[in-house]
Amino acid sequence: MFYLKVLEITSLYTILVLGVYLMTGLTGLFSLGQGGFVSIGAYTAAIAYLRFGVPFPLALALAVLIGALLGFLVGIPTLRLRRDYFLLVTFGLGEMVRAGLLYLAQLTGGALGMAGMPKRVGLPLILGSIAVITFITYSLKRSRFGRDCIAIRDDELAASMMGINVYAHKMKVFIISSATTAYGGALYAFDILFIEPNLFNWLESAKLIIITFVGGLNSIAGVIAASTIYYSFGEFFRFIDVWRDVLLAVVVILVIIFRPGGLFQGLSLLPSRLRRKWR
Amino acid sequence: MEILKTEGISKHFGGVVAVEGFSMVQRDNQITGIIGPNGAGKTTVFNLITGAASVDHGSILFMGREITRLPAHRRTDLGIARTFQNIRLFGNLTVLDNMKVAHDMKVRYTLWEEMLRLPRVRRQEREIDEKARHFLAYLGLESYAGQKPQNLSYGIQRRLELARTLMTEPRILLLDEPAAGLNPHEVRSLMDTIRKIQEENVLTIVIVEHHMELIMNICSLIHVLDFGKKIAEGEPEAIKKNEQVLQAYLGEEV
Amino acid sequence: MNWNILLQQIVNGISLGGVYALMAVGFGLIFNVLKFSNFSHGGVVTLTAYVGFFLSRYVIANFIITFLLTAVAGGLAAVVIERLVFRPIRRKGYPISMLIVNSITVAMLVQQFFAVTLGADYYTYPNFIKETALHLGSLTVSKIYLLMLGISAVVLGALTYVIQKTKIGIAIRAASSDIFTPSLMGVNVDFVVSVAFFFSGVLGGITGYLLGMTFTVDPFVGSMILKGIIASIIGGMGSILGGVIAGLLLGAAESLLIGEIGAALTPMVIYGSIILLLLVRPQGIAGKITEIKA
Repeated sequence: MFYLKVLEITSLYTILVLGVYLMTGLTGLFSLGQGGFVSIGAYTAAIAYLRFGVPFPLALALAVLIGALLGFLVGIPTLRLRRDYFLLVTFGLGEMVRAGLLYLAQLTGGALGMAGMPKRVGLPLILGSIAVITFITYSLKRSRFGRDCIAIRDDELAASMMGINVYAHKMKVFIISSATTAYGGALYAFDILFIEPNLFNWLESAKLIIITFVGGLNSIAGVIAASTIYYSFGEFFRFIDVWRDVLLAVVVILVIIFRPGGLFQGLSLLPSRLRRKWR
Repeated sequence: MEILKTEGISKHFGGVVAVEGFSMVQRDNQITGIIGPNGAGKTTVFNLITGAASVDHGSILFMGREITRLPAHRRTDLGIARTFQNIRLFGNLTVLDNMKVAHDMKVRYTLWEEMLRLPRVRRQEREIDEKARHFLAYLGLESYAGQKPQNLSYGIQRRLELARTLMTEPRILLLDEPAAGLNPHEVRSLMDTIRKIQEENVLTIVIVEHHMELIMNICSLIHVLDFGKKIAEGEPEAIKKNEQVLQAYLGEEV
Repeated sequence: MNWNILLQQIVNGISLGGVYALMAVGFGLIFNVLKFSNFSHGGVVTLTAYVGFFLSRYVIANFIITFLLTAVAGGLAAVVIERLVFRPIRRKGYPISMLIVNSITVAMLVQQFFAVTLGADYYTYPNFIKETALHLGSLTVSKIYLLMLGISAVVLGALTYVIQKTKIGIAIRAASSDIFTPSLMGVNVDFVVSVAFFFSGVLGGITGYLLGMTFTVDPFVGSMILKGIIASIIGGMGSILGGVIAGLLLGAAESLLIGEIGAALTPMVIYGSIILLLLVRPQGIAGKITEIKA
C-alpha cells in the first residue's frame, strides 16, 4: 500500500519531468518558470470543477488547453531571446503567476490555497498518462521533430542554415511542453487534493531541469529513471529527506563534470532488436 | 541563366565596414571563387547571401526573385546551401541524422501524424533514410553512418559537411574555405569532389578560399575583395597578373 | 501628488538600488569574461550573509572588521566555486548550457544547505548604528540605507579604478572581449578568470553583508540576485556603468511602484517592462550587440 502511494507521487512528478524534457533536454530551452504552468494547470482544473461545476474530464482538458494557449502567448515574445534572457524572463513569469494567484484570492483562495477536490486521479490514470506521454515523446524524438530539436540545441545558426525554422519549431516544443506540464498540474490537484500558490516555485522548476540533466539529455528512459529515483528517494529515506536536495545538487555537479551525457546516458527505452522493428 | 545576383550589398558593424557595394552575378554551371586577404569581408558576403546577417544596403536576387528580406531558413528551402569556415556539424546527432536534418524542411508529414507515428511517417522516414545513405555513399562516407561527428577525422568531417549540403536539394552551393586545414593530398581530392558534384548535380558553386591552387585550378571566374570592396573580377589568368590584387595581398609595389 | 512621499520612496529605493547595482556588476563581471549567467553568485550572497552574521555575533562586534572579512570570504568562496565547478567544464570544452545548469545547482545547494542546517531560525546582525534614522528636512532617511548607498558607491568607484587603471584590470578587459587572444600574449587566462571571480565574489560578499545587516539572514537572501540580474540586463550585460544606472533605476522604480500599486502587482509591472525592453532593445542601456561569427 505504501509502495503504491510512493509510485503514485513519483509518477506524478515524472510527468512534469517529461514535460520539461522535451524543451530542455532535447531542445535546450531553459525555463525557471515551468512551475507557473503546473500551478495554472492545477488551478484551472480545480476552479473549473469547484466553482463552475465543470465535469472532471472536461476540467482536465481545459487545463491542457489553457496550458497550451499560455505557452503560445508566452512564447511569442520570449522565444527569440537568447538562452540566459529566456531563463530570466521565464523565471519572472513564474513569479508573476505566483503573485497573480495570491492576488486573485476571491477566485483562488489566495494564500490559503484550495482544497475540496475529490480524488479522481489514481495510479491507473497516472501510469496511463505516463505511457501515452512517453510514447508521444519517443515518436517525436525518432522523427524529424526530435532531430530538429537536437540540431537547434547544438547549433541554432547551423540549424537555420539547414532550412529549419528555428522560431516556429521552438514554439511547437514550448506549446507541447507547457500543455504537458499543465496537465501534470491538473492531475496533481485531483490527486494530492490541496494546492497553493507557493507549491511550485523556481526551485522546483530548477529541479526539473536538473533531473533532466542527470538522467541524460538524449535518453528518455534515463530521465524517467532519474526522476523515479529522486522523487521516491525522499519517501524511502525520510530521515535524510531534508538532505535530499543537497545530495541532488552534489550529484548533478559531479555528473555534469564527469559524465555530461547523464548518469543513464546509454539507457534506451527499447532494446535494439525492438528498435529496428519499430522502423 | 542567372542563378544568384547581388546588387551593391553593404554591411556595417558599428563603425566598421565589413562589405561595401558588392555586386556579382552567378550563372548556372559555374564554379566561381571569392578571394582576398584576411578580414576582407568574404565570409560576410556569404552571411548576407544566406541570410545569417541582414544587408544594410543593396539587394539580393535568387532565380530572379528578390530574397533580400527573406529569413535564412526560407532561403535554404529555395535552394541556397552553404558550408562553414569552422565546421558546424551537430555533435549530438549521428552522421546519418546530420544528413537527415538537412532534408527535414522538405518533409511532408504533420506534427500530429508524427506524435502518433502513423504509417505515413514511417514510410517517409524510410525514404529519408535511403536518401541520406545514398548521399553518404556518393562521397564515400557510408561506413560512418552511425558515428558521431567528433569521432571522425577533420578531412572526413569536411566531406560530411559537403554531403550534407546535397540533402537540401540545392541549386547553388556556397563553400566557405572548404580546404582549410587539409593536407595537399586531401586538397586535390577535394578539387575532384567539387568538380564531380558540380557536373553530376548540375549545380553552380561559389567558393571562398585562401588556397590559391584550388581556386586557380577549378574556378572559371574570380572576384577579389579587399577591405570589403571588390577590387577585381575576371578569369584566373588575369587575376594572377592583376596589380591591384598583388598589392592587396603583398601590401607593397611589386 | 504628495511630493514628499514620492521623494521619500525614491530615496529609499535608491539605497536598495545601490545593492542591486553591486549585484549587477558582480554578475556582469563573470558574464563579460566567461560569457555565461552565473547564478551561483546568489549562492555566494547567501553564504556571506551567514558568514557576516556569525563573525559579528560570535567573533567580534566590529562593523569594519567583519565587513572586510566577509567581503574577502565572498571572494574566496567564488574562487573555490570557479575552481571546483566551472573550471573542469571549461577545460573539457562543454557547451555553455552546462555552466548555466551547474551555476543554478550551486545556488540551489547553498540555499538548501542553509535551509536544512540553520533555516528554521531568524538571525539578525547586531545593531551597529544607534538611532536609526536621519532627518534631512522633511525626509526621513534610514541611516542603514545611507550606509548601504555609501558603501556601494565607494566599492563601485574602487572597482572602476581597478578595471581601468591596473594591469590586472586591463587583463580582465582583454579577456572580456576575447578569451583566447590574451593567452597567446602570455597572459595566464586561468589566473585572470580566478581574479575576475574573486572580484565578483567580493562584491557578492559585500552584498550579502549589507542585505543581512539591513534585513534578516535566511536561506533565501540569494534570490535577490534575480534583481541584480535584471539590472544587469537592463543596463546592458557587460557594462559596469550600465549596471549601476540600471540598479539605481530599478531600486527607485520598485520603491515607487510598491508605494503606488502595492507589492503584489509590482513584480508584474517590472517583469512586463523587462520583456518589452528585451524585445525592443536587447542590448540594454549601454551594451553592445555582437554578431555571431559564422
